[in-house]
Amino acid sequence: MAGSGREERAWIRGAQAGSVADLEALFRHHWPRAYRAAYLVVHDAAAAEDIAQESFLAAVRTLERFDRRRPFGPWLHRIVVNRAIDWSRARALRREIGEAPLAAVAATDRSDNPHARTLASALASLSPEHRAVIVLRHLLEYTPGEISELLDLPRCTVNSRLRRGLDALAALLGEDVR
Amino acid sequence: MKWDQPAPREQEAGDRSWNVVRSAWEARTPLPRPRRSRLPLVAIAAAVAVVAAALSPPGLAVLGSISDAVRGERNAKPALFSLPSPGKLLVVSERGVWTAAADGSRRFLGPYRDAAWSPHGLYVAVSGRTEISAVDPKGNVRWSLSRPDVSFPNWGGSRTDTRIAYLTTSRLHVVAGDGTDDVDAGGLPAAARISPAWRPGLPFVVAYADTRGRVYAYEPQTGALRWRSAPLPDPRFLQWSSDGRYVLVVTRDKLAVLRGGKAVSLRFGRVPAAAFRPGTHAVAEIRRLGATSEVLLGRRVLFRGTGEFRQLAWSPDGRWLLVTWPTADQWIFVRVAGGRRIVAVSSITEQFGGGAFPSVAGWCC
Repeated sequence: MAGSGREERAWIRGAQAGSVADLEALFRHHWPRAYRAAYLVVHDAAAAEDIAQESFLAAVRTLERFDRRRPFGPWLHRIVVNRAIDWSRARALRREIGEAPLAAVAATDRSDNPHARTLASALASLSPEHRAVIVLRHLLEYTPGEISELLDLPRCTVNSRLRRGLDALAALLGEDVR
Repeated sequence: MKWDQPAPREQEAGDRSWNVVRSAWEARTPLPRPRRSRLPLVAIAAAVAVVAAALSPPGLAVLGSISDAVRGERNAKPALFSLPSPGKLLVVSERGVWTAAADGSRRFLGPYRDAAWSPHGLYVAVSGRTEISAVDPKGNVRWSLSRPDVSFPNWGGSRTDTRIAYLTTSRLHVVAGDGTDDVDAGGLPAAARISPAWRPGLPFVVAYADTRGRVYAYEPQTGALRWRSAPLPDPRFLQWSSDGRYVLVVTRDKLAVLRGGKAVSLRFGRVPAAAFRPGTHAVAEIRRLGATSEVLLGRRVLFRGTGEFRQLAWSPDGRWLLVTWPTADQWIFVRVAGGRRIVAVSSITEQFGGGAFPSVAGWCC
């Protein structure tokens, strides 16, 4: 799991003592997965940057009170994924065109556009909630039990979202992504 | 992409975000380290000392001096006899809009709610509930437009070509300085209830914040959106630097400096007011520390007092800073260049028609 271990605790200790170099090491270590997770949920690079950046700022704001015995990654990823879900829901509410034209575009993409066969594009066809559990499981490598804690969901809900999401991805991509 | 492949723009987004995170980290106020074993003893000792001191004659004198501090600066002038620097102030009180000239003379322009100087101080844009107008410094109305729920006019441009941005409910409008060509900036998200800000010079670019706190740089002549920022929730104030490179954003709990829509500096903490010093990128700001307020320029404390400091206004030459102090019913003029000097003026509310403490809408040329 990214962000665990003695090295990470040393970075957090250093940052809490005021070391910018240690804070940068912590940031550089966690940025790729935080940004990637946000991107795979929202499917928008600008929004992913905003979400990951705001999540780091939220984490940094309370870093001095952070308990070093706990891993930093889950704490950060909980913020990132929940913000990404919120963003996706808000975007769905703001959509200004009906579902029919979008469905037509998606159907065309599936049959003609090779780009639609990429993982990111396939993920975009799922709901934000399904995207989030799949990203947490397969990108960030959390167990279903850890995901249920991070998202504050029952374990059975996590399992069912994983199963349905992965089935949908397999159907879209023509391969098993597990 | 596969699970382990980078997402689009991952690297550059990381570099940009690191700059923002580092700025926020460096600007934070470090938490004091707890000293658990000593704390109760220190607290008890301090409480005993305070009670003992308060009951002694010297202690009563100290309490008296604190009370004086709440009353404001001791050597304050009883009225605004003059401004310490050239220029003139625009003031909005409960009664309406006023100007205060360098010689201290005050003129009532009319019962308006908001006001802004034209770029060279030749006119004033004023708004009432259903009308925006341009008036000359004597209060003569040059033109008016009737619009619903008008607020926050701001006038920008050059001597020969100007525009006024203002809000109607939550829509951004732009009208030419002669009152013609009023347009609703269609297609942009609803505006937050704060004043838009013009970038100095041409072409016309106006910054405004939407209700989610994103700041937009918009070119009203072409309708082009130059950039937009990440959300900075609950924005309170926007201002461009004199060279038009940076935008200062004050929110309920943050102070951010944007360049091209990206935060180059971000600090958490409640800042009631902040302002770029003219001609520089230095920022003056108010901070509250319990019952005390202080004004800082960078890390330098310019003035400190008890109670609430509300607003900052720089003199046009950037040498003096006006701090409004409602708790003491005073204005404090602080000379920043050429040696620190304080000029305080009392009874501000009464001089501008009474009611609530007035606000300063600008110190112009």
